[in-house]
Amino acid sequence: MSQESPVSQPALNQDSLNQDSLNQDLRRLVYYSRNRVGGGPAAMNETIRGILAASRTNNARVGVTGALMFNAGCFAQVLEGPGEAVETTFERIQQDERHGEVSLLAFEAVETRLFTEWSMAFVGASQADAALYGDMAGESGFDLSRMTGNNLCAVLHGLALEEEAAAA
Amino acid sequence: MPAFMSALAAPSLPVSLPFEAALAEMAAPLLLLDAGGTVLFTNARAAALLSCAEPVGLSLPVLLAQSGAAEPEGEPVLEAVRATRPARARLTLDGDRRVEAALAPLSAGGFALTFEDVTEQLRGAALARQEPLTGLCNRVGLHDRLHAALAEADRTGAPLAVLMLDLDRFKAVNDTLGHPVGDALLRKVAERLRKATRSGDVVARLGGDEFAILQAGAEQPQASEALARRLVDLVGRTYVVDGHMLNVGVSVGVAVAPVDGRGADDLLKHADLALYRAKAEGRGTYRFFEPAMNAQMQARRSLEIDLRRALALKQFDLAFQPQIQLETGAVTGFEALLRWNHPERGPVSPALFIPLAEEIGIIVGIGEWALRAACREAASWPQPASIAVNLSPVQFRGGKLVETVMNVLAQTGLDPARLELEITEGALLENTDSVLDVLNGLRALGVKISMDDFGTGYSSLSYLQKFPFDKIKIDQSFVRGMEGNAECGAIVRAIARLGASLGMRTTAEGVETPSQLDAIRAEGCTEVQGYLTGRPMPAAQAAALLSSSPVASPADAA
Repeated sequence: MSQESPVSQPALNQDSLNQDSLNQDLRRLVYYSRNRVGGGPAAMNETIRGILAASRTNNARVGVTGALMFNAGCFAQVLEGPGEAVETTFERIQQDERHGEVSLLAFEAVETRLFTEWSMAFVGASQADAALYGDMAGESGFDLSRMTGNNLCAVLHGLALEEEAAAA
Repeated sequence: MPAFMSALAAPSLPVSLPFEAALAEMAAPLLLLDAGGTVLFTNARAAALLSCAEPVGLSLPVLLAQSGAAEPEGEPVLEAVRATRPARARLTLDGDRRVEAALAPLSAGGFALTFEDVTEQLRGAALARQEPLTGLCNRVGLHDRLHAALAEADRTGAPLAVLMLDLDRFKAVNDTLGHPVGDALLRKVAERLRKATRSGDVVARLGGDEFAILQAGAEQPQASEALARRLVDLVGRTYVVDGHMLNVGVSVGVAVAPVDGRGADDLLKHADLALYRAKAEGRGTYRFFEPAMNAQMQARRSLEIDLRRALALKQFDLAFQPQIQLETGAVTGFEALLRWNHPERGPVSPALFIPLAEEIGIIVGIGEWALRAACREAASWPQPASIAVNLSPVQFRGGKLVETVMNVLAQTGLDPARLELEITEGALLENTDSVLDVLNGLRALGVKISMDDFGTGYSSLSYLQKFPFDKIKIDQSFVRGMEGNAECGAIVRAIARLGASLGMRTTAEGVETPSQLDAIRAEGCTEVQGYLTGRPMPAAQAAALLSSSPVASPADAA
């Protein structure tokens, strides 16, 4: 992960992660939704980068980390953190009309985080979109192997690909 | 000394009275102005209120500006000074003090300007218009704002919209998770409503899970339609509250002024009618008011009034439709069907009155009557044939169903094994566990339980697994479709085999032709019920059928 990258921010520091082991209420929330961001590739690009920046500033404060995958069809997101903070973050996301038909796949207690920072990646087969967003995963430290290591997250990845095909 | 001040000390008044000291020390804030609006005198209260150490000598516009009174608010007072007439105006001063200013021209020239601090009064009034749980406007507040908006709309001719909202499935959240979770959910709903509206819109909670939105200053009906669509989307999204994933929806009814009404009461009523329609048409959607809704509501209300008295006036009756065993052709029993014969309306279709009776809750009383009448009739039959009685999902909610059935069996003396209670999947949709408890309680009494209309609803196989039904009744739509539609035949066959392997009998409903009967027989159903094998008949005829043909063939019964 490149520390100089404009979209990159440090992960939660060691103290916060140590807090997790004391925190009995660590939760993971997983959802996916239809991408309703319109206005062509440039507008989409701007919106997506805006979402990542906002996610980072809003969520780092309350100890919420996770991953956001997107393509022209959908958003698929994992949120991890203290239960109440995850609820508040998710409620803010639910009020956002840039996506719709939100399917909440899981909201469960977990022992440890899969994602210790905020990362974001374009996942899809579209060559044009890949050219636009392909660098984002690297910049933001997105690690697909973390996702495929978790059943639910792997399912999420699969869903994202289907949604892209459906939107095409 | 200006003319008007010397007038205060006119010779006719006792010279010894200390007028100036009284003015200076009196409780009410007071300013005296000359004819041009320059301050000549101020008492201590006024200086404190206006946060100005030395107002004397300042012109009124300067003083007001210094005190924080915003530009347009002070204008009526300044205008009145120029025109030498009295005026009243409400001003907002520094520190959010709200004052009522009264300007009075004096006969000797100049003006007296007094102030009344109404900050607390207004705050109290605002609180009285606020709903404490969500901080939204309450019903009183909505009425106030609606009256004001309508008056404004009347002047400008601009339209405005009222949206009435009802949450779907909120009661289930409150009932199963408790009020604290319900309250937290309501706060989140309120937040989404605020988020979905513009700052000028008024969002109100009218009580329980009812909300309303007043939308002014927008193009109608486009703006309210767009808002209604967003509300259905946003409010219907999953909530996470206290670790629970909650799903509620919202139904919305919209009325637009002036087309749908010019008065507040009319608009609210019409938005309510539209809401009623949105709920009747599946919930989780919105409807605009249409004038026809008024007439339909009248008709419904009149039907409701008649329906509420029908039981007491003994207008209900039962018809009995034979159920035939396919193997032997014998009448195995009858299904009791509710009939309502109204003196003026004539026979009213059950499809019309049963949903209404369920909605207003009186199905519980009607259902109990039907159960008792059916059991009493069956107990008098010459053969121990079975009697099937339908139960409404609503009857499962009161918690008294098992007791009621037990009492009816005891009173009528009917052998419990002859009673078959028919439920639809609808009964199992809500609170499946508590419904299963009731079903097990009924089974313990010795009565049989049938799954009615199978195949049309969710047809969830898990219900068949969760409770060992004695019988599955295949919905008539499949039987009717069997001729010329291979899929229907396949469905009937599948259900018949499913029943056989689960040890449940299967009854095919709605058999009307001999070829349907042959097909049903071929697919392996155990029983049949339909016009071909016997129409619904009066009680006496059913009893006669039993005594005359204990092993009737289907052709005889037709």
